[in-house]
This record gives sequence, structure tokens and C-alpha cells, in this order.
Amino acid sequence: MSPSPISPPGPVWPGSWSRRRFLARGIAWVGALSLGGVLPRQAAAGGPADIAIAEGTPEAAVRAAVGALGGIQAFVRRGQKVVIKPNMSFAPDVERASNTHPEVVRTLVALCREAGAGRVRVLDHPLRQAELCIEGVKQACSPFDKDMVHGLDKPGFFKPVSIAQGLQMRETDVMQDVLEADVLIATPVAKSHGSTGVSLSLKGMMGLIWDRGIMHYKYDLNEAIVDLATVLKPQLTVIDVTRALTTNGPGGPGKVVRLDAVIAAADPVAADAQAVAMVPWYGQRLAPRQVPHIRRAHERGLGRMDIENLRVRRVTA
Amino acid sequence: MSPARLAQTASFLLFAVLLYLAAFPLVPRLPVDAFLRLDPAAALAAMLAGRTWIPAFGSALLIVGATALLGRFFCGWVCPLGATLDVADRWTGRRGKGRFQRLAAWRPVKYQILLALAMGALLGVSLVFLVSPLALAIRFYGLLVNAAIDAAADALVEGIRPLARSLQWSPLVYADPEVPRFSLQVASLTIMALILAAGRLAPRFWCRCLCPAGALFALAAARPLWRRAVSAACIDCGRCQRACPMGAIAEDPRRTAHGECIVCQTCVHVCPTAAVTFPLSWSSSPLPAQPERLGRRQAIGAASAGAGLALLAMIDPAWPAGHDAAAGEGTGRLLRPPGAVPETDFLRRCIGCGLCMKACPTNTLQPAGTAAGLSGIFSPRLAPRIGACEPACNACSQVCPTGAIRPLPLEEKTRAKIGTAFILRHKCIAWEMNRPCLVCDEVCPYDAIALRRVPDLTVAVPFVDETRCSGCGLCHHHCPVRPDAAIVVEPVGALRLAEGSYRDTARRLGLSLELKPPAPPVPPPAAGQGLPPGFTP
Repeated sequence: MSPSPISPPGPVWPGSWSRRRFLARGIAWVGALSLGGVLPRQAAAGGPADIAIAEGTPEAAVRAAVGALGGIQAFVRRGQKVVIKPNMSFAPDVERASNTHPEVVRTLVALCREAGAGRVRVLDHPLRQAELCIEGVKQACSPFDKDMVHGLDKPGFFKPVSIAQGLQMRETDVMQDVLEADVLIATPVAKSHGSTGVSLSLKGMMGLIWDRGIMHYKYDLNEAIVDLATVLKPQLTVIDVTRALTTNGPGGPGKVVRLDAVIAAADPVAADAQAVAMVPWYGQRLAPRQVPHIRRAHERGLGRMDIENLRVRRVTA
Repeated sequence: MSPARLAQTASFLLFAVLLYLAAFPLVPRLPVDAFLRLDPAAALAAMLAGRTWIPAFGSALLIVGATALLGRFFCGWVCPLGATLDVADRWTGRRGKGRFQRLAAWRPVKYQILLALAMGALLGVSLVFLVSPLALAIRFYGLLVNAAIDAAADALVEGIRPLARSLQWSPLVYADPEVPRFSLQVASLTIMALILAAGRLAPRFWCRCLCPAGALFALAAARPLWRRAVSAACIDCGRCQRACPMGAIAEDPRRTAHGECIVCQTCVHVCPTAAVTFPLSWSSSPLPAQPERLGRRQAIGAASAGAGLALLAMIDPAWPAGHDAAAGEGTGRLLRPPGAVPETDFLRRCIGCGLCMKACPTNTLQPAGTAAGLSGIFSPRLAPRIGACEPACNACSQVCPTGAIRPLPLEEKTRAKIGTAFILRHKCIAWEMNRPCLVCDEVCPYDAIALRRVPDLTVAVPFVDETRCSGCGLCHHHCPVRPDAAIVVEPVGALRLAEGSYRDTARRLGLSLELKPPAPPVPPPAAGQGLPPGFTP
């Protein structure tokens, strides 16, 4: 039974615990599936990776990346409630790369359906007028369920949650759908951010709470992002690096670099770290530890930014 | 139901539907301001004060012309305020209180109000928002009743939501009715309450004694072609006199004050001997009854009152004068909707109907209150903290009946600069507290805010490029500093054109107001520039 995205208060499990669990389960699944010839050959050879990087069209890359982690079944069980959190906070424009590519979101929805998920919701708390911002993703997902994609911008949709491990921020209000979900999948687009360096899966959790302003105003923003990450823990992170907004993020316009790739990992810190290392932000090569909230997340034990010590698998879809 | 009642009901339904549809996105080419265009009092005030012909008000002239032939049918068949009063009077009105002689001395007051209105307009001040029946109806139903209904719907949805969640009935789980908020609702409520309460004095007291549009129609309908006639079958029972909502039937029931008759034909239906008809007739008939006339002293008093009020409006500091009124200026002291004509002309044309506020999707348009002086109490101003001006919307300019807000296509509205955003550095999280924040940059759709590194601060700080800023207020709205934002939009640099293209003017002035500006070049990492914003060594 996968842990709910909202962790109960208590000691933080180090990343190795979940890695062992996935290795155990993953080997069983990969073994079974590779016998059935379902997985691409590269992934079948040697157990599932910690971080998967797939290149190809958005749909193929997502499928390959998730497959290299052990397949969607490793994350979503039959009948479970899933919330997918993309970036859809700006007016939709694929080439501007400020929102997640709708194809990426749609493929994740399809995968969850294939795994037999009971209810899938695609949610965000947009900055601009909700109906406009979610349009691209909503259209892409409408074949599955016209009522799946929502931009929630009213306090009534959010419920108070205490953050026991918060160093700065000790309470917040989280979308009720997320609190009730069994599985949370983060699927940000890779983009720079003028305050936090980058906006990826850790930063993206800010889209699931009501009052973000207070993280700027009252608390240290980077520490507050990590505080939030102690209660909003996606089981799966799929980063859209098909087009990366490398300058002037998070809204752009800026320099968009096409990498045609997708990063997937169970550890959001590792996924974010991989994206930082892989993308030429402002034309430079930078290390994960240079992003304060990623570094703090690693130091506080929420995940691993030392990707050089993790199993990284590259596949071509 | 009599034809008149049928028409009145249909008319009110049409009024309600048009008002409902006055929302973003607008139905293309649907004139949601149709009823306002029929109001002759609004037409008179706006055109006289503004010294201009307003094409939309051609319909009002047509109605007045039709009144000369058909009688005061607008009041009985079309006017939504009249319909409201007919319904309310069933609750407040007392039988036997409606006769011709009742409160006869009050009848001429509507002419006094009309005269005061005209006098003020002659001096260049329009106070028609107080007395135009359509403006009153739109403010009441469009701003007050509408908001109340939305608030009730919202409360209902919130109450049902837990049940909907457990039943997994998605449409209701995510239902999110917009609840608009408007200031001065108490004023609108009070005005309407007084008008309705006056029904205790006599039915349709407003129409008989106060309404300036009614006064204009009464003048036109002195002897219409289609008018009440009574045959010899009349038995003097007096039923028609008691039943007439306007008290238009004199002591002799064969005589009618045609200027007061709203052609509802109630008298036709109550007559026991079917003696009353409304034929089209050139023939002679008994002299029309004359209600109390307007005396000379009363007329002079009314004109003086109008002039006095106009003067009061003009000595208010908010009235554009001096530098504010200079040619090429016209900005005024308030944030006005994009496309608003220069301030003096704006105050003259605006009839305070509130339709723009109803149509505004972000609820940013609010009544100006006293900030714009007496004549601008219900004129619209932007309130960025409540809402920003949505770049993809031009609804206000499309619904304004008088052209106080010029109708603009979207590519013109984008360049109709509302004002400029100014960063209050002493309050800004980045500038003052050296902490990371860039919400203003994030939300700006014109890319007018740039983050740069400055000496002595480790975080990147925002700068506003005033040649790219349109004053939409998204930054002002989203700034996390509470309660008042650290970046505020002021009317500085607003473009207020009486005519001509905003796009061309903006270009001429060196403004670059683009919603999708081309990506700026990547700044090369120069010495001291080094790391991208947000990263550490």
C-alpha cells in the first residue's frame, strides 16, 4: 500500500528506504514484464533505476521513463485516487514552456487509467484566470473525462494542514482532493525561476496550497518550500524537459531550449537535481547544490541531490 | 393576462436576459445596453452635458416620437422599473389611494426634476445617474440583486459540497460561482427602497411624480393618436378611476390626462359596461384632463436647484480643472477603464448605469463614490486589489451605451494604457528585506517588470519599465505584501483619447505595449553578473 502523499507526523524516512522497497518490487515487476516482452530492452537489463531519462516524443518519452522505473503499476494500484499536479498557471502556449506540455499530462492520465486508477484529477491553483490557464491541458485530457482538470482558486477547496516538521512554516491549507488522494504525481515543466533559481517538482507543490504569498512575505521562501515538501510528497515525479524555459522563468518569455526529454523518479529531490544538472540555465552548467531549496531538501533528508551516486538510466523511446 | 401585462412581462424578461448576458465573454453583436438606449432622460443629460450627438440614443428619440402617437406606452409596456413598481405596489399600494386628485401637487415635481437635470446638463454636469429609471434599474438588478443571488448560490454550493463529494457528483464538487462585490450597495438599496416605499403614498408614485423620463414622455403624449375613449355606455361607477395605476382618469371618468396614461388598459378590463376603448382616432374627444401644472416660481426654483448642484459638482477638487483639464491631459485622479475618454468628457457622458461594472469579469470596476465628485458617484474606477484588468477582455468598452468608454477592439484596448505601476521600494520584500520574491514579474502579461541584481542586495529586485507597463494591475493585485501592495498602479501616463487609434498613439509616444513580447536576449554572464537569479555559488 503506497503511503498517502500527506505523511503523518513522525521521523522522516531516508531515501534509501524507498529505494530498497522499489528495488524489491521493481525487480519482481520488471522480471515479470520483461518475460512478457513489454518493457524496452534497455530497461529490462538490470533492475529499475532511481532516475530515468527518456528521449523522444512527449508521449513515448513519458511511457519509456515511467517504464524504466518499474512501470506505472509500481506507483498506482487498482481503484486508487490519483492527483496529477502539472504546471498550468499561465496562458497556454507550448512553445513558451511555462506550462507542462499537455501531451505529457495526457500520457500520465492514460497510464493511470491503464493501471486501473479509480479517480484521476489534474489540479493546480493558477495565478491567472483559471479557465484560461488550464485550457490546453483540459483539452488534451477531455477524451478521458471532461471533469478531470480543474484550476481551483477559491479558499473553500482547501483545508488546513499542520506541518509538524516545518522549521519556518508550520501550517498551510491544502486542496482537499490532494488530502483525499492515495497517489500524488508531480509533473512540472523544467523552467527557471527568478527567486528560487528553478521551478520544478519541489517548488511546484506551492500550486496545491491556498496562500503562497505568505511564503514570500512571512517566511524564508526556500526554507518554506522544503517545509511544504515534508507534507506534500509526490510518489512519482515526471519532469517535462521536452522544452525547458532556461531564462526569465517562471512565466517567460525567455530562451526555450528543446531537449525532447522526460525525467522520471520516485524521489522528487533527485528528479529536480537531475533537471538542474541537465539543462543549460542561462547558458550555464550548474550543480543541484547551487539551488538553495534543493540543497536544503537534501540536508533535511527529504531526498537525494547527489545524483552521481544514484542509478541513472537513459532510454531512447 | 392583458396584452399590456404580457408585453410588460416579456419586456422585463428580455431586460433580465440582456443583463445576465452582460458578462465576459460577451455574445458578439448583442446590444446588452438596449434598454439604456431607450431612456430619454439619460439621452438628454448625456448629450447636452457632453455637447455631442450620441448615436446610440437615436432609439430614445424614436421612442419619444412613438410616444407622441401611441401615448406613454414605454412606461406601461417596456420600462423594467415600472414593472417592478407594478409588482411592488400590490404589496405596498393601498386601494383607493390612486385617484387623480391624490397628491396632485406632487405631479409637477417630475417636470422640476427634468428641468433641474437639463439645467445642470446645460452647465456641463450630468446628475442623471440619480434619476434615470433605466440606470436605477440596472444598478439595482445588475449590481445588487445579481450579487445577492450569486452570494446565495455560493452559500448553497458550499453547503452542499461535502454531500457532493461523498456522492462523487463532480459538477457540484468543483462548482465555483463568482460572487461580485461592489461598494455603495447601501446607496442603491436605499434609493430603490425609497422609490418602492413611495408606493404607500400612491401607486407608481415614482412614475407620476418623480421620473424625468416619464416627464418627457408626458410632454410628448399630451394628445396621442392612440388614446383612451369612453362611449355613452359609461354609467359613472368610478371603477376605472380606482383601478388606474397612474390616477390618470379625472373626476369625470370620460376625461383622461393622456400624458399620465401609460396605456396599460386596466380601465378597459374593469369597466362593467365595456364603455372604455383605445381606438386610433383623429376625431375629437373630451378635453384631456390637466393635472396640476408647473408654476413659474416652481420652474425657476427647479432650474436654480439644477444649477446649484452643477456648481457643487464643479467646485469639488475632483472635477478636472486647471492642469488636469488642459488639452492633451485629461487623465483625472482615478484609474479609469481602458478606453475611457478624457476625464471631463467622461464625467459628462457617464450616466452611472453600472453596466460596465456588471460586465467586468474580474470585479475590478467599482463605483467611484465621492472620489470623483458629485457627478461621478457611480462612475467606474479600477480597484486593483479587488481585481486586475484582464488583458483578454474588452467588455466594459463594448457595453457602455454613451461611449464614455469608447468601444475598442482587443488590439486597441491592449494599448489603452490605464496607468503605470510603481514599486514602493520601502515595502517591497526584495528591495527592503533582501528576500526572494518576484510575483510581480511572474504575473505581468506585458513583460514590463525585469529582475536585476543591484549592489548591496543579494536577491534580484524588480524594476518597472513604464514604456511597457499598461497599468492592468496584475502586479498590484498579486503582490504578497499585505494588506496594501508594495507595487501600486497610479493614473500616471494613462492614455485618454477622445478619438483616434490607441495603437498609433502608443507607438508615437514610444510605448511598447505588447502582450506577447519577443523574448529578450539572454544576458551574457559578465563579471559581477555571474550566476542566474536564484542560484547560489
